[in-house]
Amino acid sequence: MPTDVHHPRSTLPRPTHLQLAGLVVGLIAFLVPLLVDIPGLEPAGQRMLAIFLLAIVLWVTEAVPLVATAMLVILLEVLMISDQALVALPEDVLAASDYFAALADPVIVLFLGGFLIADGAAKFDLDRNLAAVMLRPFAGNARRSVLGLMLITAMLSMFVSNTATTATMFAVVIPILAVLPAGPARTGLALAIPVAANVGGIGTPVGSPPNAIALGALEARGEGVSFLGWMLLAVPLMVVVLLFAWWLLTRRYIAPDTPMALDLSSSFDRSPAAIVFYVVAGATVLLWLTEPLHGISSSTVGFVPVVALLATQVMGGDDIKALQWPVLWLVAGGIALGAGIGATGLDTWLLGLVAWEALPLTLLVLLLVAVGLGLSTVISNSATANLLVPLSLSLATGLPIDATAIGVIVALACALAMALPISTPPNAVAYATGEVDTRAMATNGLLVGGFGAVLLATVLPRVWDRLGLL
Amino acid sequence: MQLAVLILEDERPVREALARDLGHFGGHVRIEVAEDVPDAWAVIDELDRDGDRLALVLADHRLPGTSGVDFLVLLLDDPRTVHTRKVLVTGQADQQDTIRAVNDAGLDRYIPKPWNPDELRSVVRDQLTDHVIEHRLDPLPHLQALDAARVMPLLRTRGDR
Repeated sequence: MPTDVHHPRSTLPRPTHLQLAGLVVGLIAFLVPLLVDIPGLEPAGQRMLAIFLLAIVLWVTEAVPLVATAMLVILLEVLMISDQALVALPEDVLAASDYFAALADPVIVLFLGGFLIADGAAKFDLDRNLAAVMLRPFAGNARRSVLGLMLITAMLSMFVSNTATTATMFAVVIPILAVLPAGPARTGLALAIPVAANVGGIGTPVGSPPNAIALGALEARGEGVSFLGWMLLAVPLMVVVLLFAWWLLTRRYIAPDTPMALDLSSSFDRSPAAIVFYVVAGATVLLWLTEPLHGISSSTVGFVPVVALLATQVMGGDDIKALQWPVLWLVAGGIALGAGIGATGLDTWLLGLVAWEALPLTLLVLLLVAVGLGLSTVISNSATANLLVPLSLSLATGLPIDATAIGVIVALACALAMALPISTPPNAVAYATGEVDTRAMATNGLLVGGFGAVLLATVLPRVWDRLGLL
Repeated sequence: MQLAVLILEDERPVREALARDLGHFGGHVRIEVAEDVPDAWAVIDELDRDGDRLALVLADHRLPGTSGVDFLVLLLDDPRTVHTRKVLVTGQADQQDTIRAVNDAGLDRYIPKPWNPDELRSVVRDQLTDHVIEHRLDPLPHLQALDAARVMPLLRTRGDR
């Protein structure tokens, strides 16, 4: 036998035309503010504008991977607008360590805990077993089964990433799809999962990355929201949109007498490691929900399972390696971007470009929601939040609206974008099954997302106000 | 990048029957046929030029020139095919050939002729799925040719974006 090992050739992906254009336009967008004197903007602001424009182009075109842009933002901030800037700035600037600190922002620590718990749930098959148990009361009637599937998908998605939830729930649904006759029932069922996973992600701070981006930016301004506080703000919208989506999908696609046999068998892992995991995960969620009683911040609570699961060796180095670091770093890039925009005064200058206060507040909020929804339909939700959250928060300073409300509204708007297969990974999975065509996804995605967006922009702020949540 | 399945069979009616039985994988994976080993290498060159990936070979054993089993052994020496999954579809391999196919070529499955079309499809689906899982390929572009439930765990590690 030959002893030499064959390495499959690893080729670099060939850039698309859009990516090449992104690189060129990004470079131009980066250079213009550095070469052209911009009235009313300090040198630091001009440099930050260069970084911000470059980030917009790169995140929209994905000329380089999303996470690479996030890291580039931090590097450029350190090299251009920190105390270690290559060309020193006359004004007061943040220390380089302040920009690097985004990588260990409390929100990142919160997500670290959330990710480890989510990965543990998969490791011990807790998510699938919980889904089987919770589905039992819904068995029998097809429309009720779909309601059960959607509620459970959304509940899992509040704590597990939308993508992982979709993967788990499709594993449950694929055997059902296989025995359904081809036709509308399959389309409806295959759409129900991603819609519920997308919508469920808004329910808690750890549900999806845009929530973290908003939360991080709010905390940086000293207006943090507790875990429970976020849930009170977001869960009502989540439930209403979910019920609307269920009504829409079942009325359009699923006849009540559709035969739908759910696999309800569960076999919980009872090994000692699994039991330790259940206890740690349960305690963490309980501590998150009871922050008003004990006052320990959700980030600190999020760090407890990290320590507990590693110390008990329920999870180890391999589990740490398997965490979704690109997602964490993408969020960190957004936090650093927000810090830079605030520290250089770029936010004030940008907002000064338009007489925002002349616009009616409701129209302004509608505009923000529309931009968030539209942009995140075609680009990454996290990238949209990274670009939009810092701007909207500074917008809020000059207006009679709570910054928290604006931050949460923008994050939720990003999560409601689900009209295209590329809008979110759950949509991409549903599309890849071949059961849903682009047209069905677009119609239902626009209806559900649009319904949610209108509620979010018009009704929800009043509800929050009325209930005294802000 | 498409996944490709190569059918290596010298008898034309058999080759066509195999391709026909795999018909509904078409559109989701690339199905290629070859009548002898040089022809098979030409297909491999073409796949490589197109940036596609040979995921599975269904080979007959008794061929003019190089035998099917010898071809499967040679696949291990080429970086383009070292990870290709290998299935013998044959009625004529003796015990020696079969032992060599298992031990030296890392044969994944043996389908005796005449084959059952459903079984053939299920073997192909399984082998493609194993290939995607083993090499952690993105399953979404090929999902309809795969055992979707089995590849779902690959998607968990992706994270939201």
